Amino acid sequence: MKLKDWISPFYVWKRAFEKPFTVPKPLDERPGSSRYRGFHKNDLEKCIGCGTCSSICQNHAIDMVPVEGIETTKGDSGLRPRIDYGRCCWCALCVDICPTTSLSMSNEYLWIDTDAEVFRFIPGAENKPWDNVQEGYTREESYHIVDPERVTMEMLPPDERVKSFLEMVKGYSREQAQKEADRCIQCGICTATCPAHMDIPGYIKAVRENNIKDGLKLMYETNPMPAMCGRVCTHQCEDVCALGHSGDPISIRWLKRYLADQVELDDYAKAMLVAIDSNGKHVAIIGAGPGGLSAAYYLRLLGYDITIYEAKDYAGGMTRYGIPEYRLPYDQLDKDISYILSLGINIQYNTRVGEDITFEQVYTSFDAVLISVGLLTPYKMEIPGEELPGNISGLEVLDMVTRGEKVYFGNRVAVIGGGNVAMDAARTARTFGADVTLLYRRRIEDMPADEEEIIDAEHEKVEFITQAIPLRIEQTEDNKLRFIFGLAEMVDQGDEKRPRPVLIEGKEHSIDVDMVISAIGQGADFSFLPMHYEALFSRRNQLKIDEFCRTNDPKIFAAGDIANKTKDAISAIADGHRAAKTIDHMLQKEGI
Amino acid sequence: MKELLQRLSDRFSLKEITYQRDNLIFITVEKSNVIPFITHLKQHENFSHLVMIGAVDYIENGTFQLTYLLHNYSLHADIGVRVHVQRENPVMESIHTIWAQARTYQREIREMFGIDFPGSPDVDKPFLLEGWQNIPPMRKDFDTLKYSQETYFPRSGRKHYDPQNYMKQKLYPDKEPE
Repeated sequence: MKLKDWISPFYVWKRAFEKPFTVPKPLDERPGSSRYRGFHKNDLEKCIGCGTCSSICQNHAIDMVPVEGIETTKGDSGLRPRIDYGRCCWCALCVDICPTTSLSMSNEYLWIDTDAEVFRFIPGAENKPWDNVQEGYTREESYHIVDPERVTMEMLPPDERVKSFLEMVKGYSREQAQKEADRCIQCGICTATCPAHMDIPGYIKAVRENNIKDGLKLMYETNPMPAMCGRVCTHQCEDVCALGHSGDPISIRWLKRYLADQVELDDYAKAMLVAIDSNGKHVAIIGAGPGGLSAAYYLRLLGYDITIYEAKDYAGGMTRYGIPEYRLPYDQLDKDISYILSLGINIQYNTRVGEDITFEQVYTSFDAVLISVGLLTPYKMEIPGEELPGNISGLEVLDMVTRGEKVYFGNRVAVIGGGNVAMDAARTARTFGADVTLLYRRRIEDMPADEEEIIDAEHEKVEFITQAIPLRIEQTEDNKLRFIFGLAEMVDQGDEKRPRPVLIEGKEHSIDVDMVISAIGQGADFSFLPMHYEALFSRRNQLKIDEFCRTNDPKIFAAGDIANKTKDAISAIADGHRAAKTIDHMLQKEGI
Repeated sequence: MKELLQRLSDRFSLKEITYQRDNLIFITVEKSNVIPFITHLKQHENFSHLVMIGAVDYIENGTFQLTYLLHNYSLHADIGVRVHVQRENPVMESIHTIWAQARTYQREIREMFGIDFPGSPDVDKPFLLEGWQNIPPMRKDFDTLKYSQETYFPRSGRKHYDPQNYMKQKLYPDKEPE
């Protein structure tokens, strides 16, 4: 035996008191590293159930399932991811792509159970020991699978814009549109929010794959005015876009415009390939705004003979007479309208029902009547001096400018109101060179106008005075108008209601202007309906309409701004489509 | 590390250098330079420990990237030696003569990526995947989903709802007036 053999055992004893290199049991004393990709966590409040984690999963390990207590709302599918750990390979692509950053992984990696079924679970909904573990894998701030920034849209600069009525938004090129479309994760959360429920992921896919005609056809399934909506839609879809939670939402509206812009009007028929078999039934439509035109389009496709009665000399309604040309050029609106009318729709311009033809005549000579007359009667401010010349409504101003009539704005204009009509009137007055002050009774954040209209108006140097209550209008000695207003304080009305402006008594302010434009809203004019249609109304100027656009009279239907709360073009189009389906259903079923 | 780099670049042609941290740099070298370069690092610069060999499939460039991570105990520093190997018939010289344990890494890479290391002991023996018939599974053109669907039975009770359709059903289902 060697000497070493005698000594070696003592070495072992010597080491016995040192820190061991091996890891003792139990193993839970050894946590995963701080960026370890362990079991999933999901912040259920942040998650919107877009299902992108499920789509990207290479192993189909993730199902989207309903979770008790989570409601389906606009912008939230109500579904949440359930992960099957029998398939998960812990690659973390689901975490990397998650647009809300709700999904993450803890650094926990031990989970022992004898029941295989438990390894399929909904993170966040089923309590797990790692729910509150901070360490683990999250997407790094700077790392994005999808570009968080939208492709910038070129626009005329504000000082150029106020010089003319040239279209201010220039539109995407093919490269730009495809790049923007490439950002779309195709979750489809937007579709429910769109009043017309357009297949947005579908037509964005068509842009990406350059299937222009298919894209156009797809848009027409739910919206026959895409060139118009591609420019002026209120794009509620973009407000709920999943990508908006950690970056810019997809430019859904500009992509729609891109698709419509790619096809010439002459090629529409070739792209759409519609065949119409007339069914011999006749429907009258009163008013050729988006609601009436949309109904006309879908009814015509179903084989109805359509006659539209339009009081003005062009179709388009509020989108023509209420939206300035720099936002919606007339040739683009005409493109939409021309295609609809080209399907063989009879339209009678300059024909006001109630004056040029009685409602009774219309009612008796058609199988059904759709009323889509819009809201054209401006509300009055109900203040002294309102009758003075130089005080004019916003709608009148926009109408006159559209018809090419000369409008004298003078040097200084006061616009009263905070809606889109007020913004458009203010910006139009700026284009004619006037200094514009816009007065609104509430705060900027309370304005019903689209956010971008407010921002554009600010950029174009429209001056804003908020919490201003109109008191009266007086004539000054130099023949100007003195607009006198008081300031208001905002009084809280409780949780659900918006704060109410209350006049602070005693102190008056005034501005001297050449013109006062009031744009504080508008109502409907139903004076063309004879007295005995009283039953159609719930109260004055309010038609009783059900969710199918039906009124109390089985032959009368209603659509457009008179029939919905949001009072925008896309809602009118949705109404028109719904009314068309209802009219078809009723006429086919009951043969009224 | 700076002086070290200077010494190395005097002697070898270094294609690309990435400073990850003070004590970690990555150096890309030509395939024909790898063995002399690694041997030099071990014998003259005291990078005596082979930490690991890693591989990445850059299918878009038609190459695999191999990374030999070497550690220097006195500097407490690492150098990652990177080399690109053509994806078509990928072959790399073996380093088992420099570090005997390299044979294990090479055997694993041979199995997972299909990169051959001729002469490396047991390089053709299965490492984890006994009886594997498919293309090497870590290659990017290996379809994980297709494989798992063909190989493993789906667990019963799974159900997936498409968000767009589910929202339609919940928020705006098709309804017809009576």
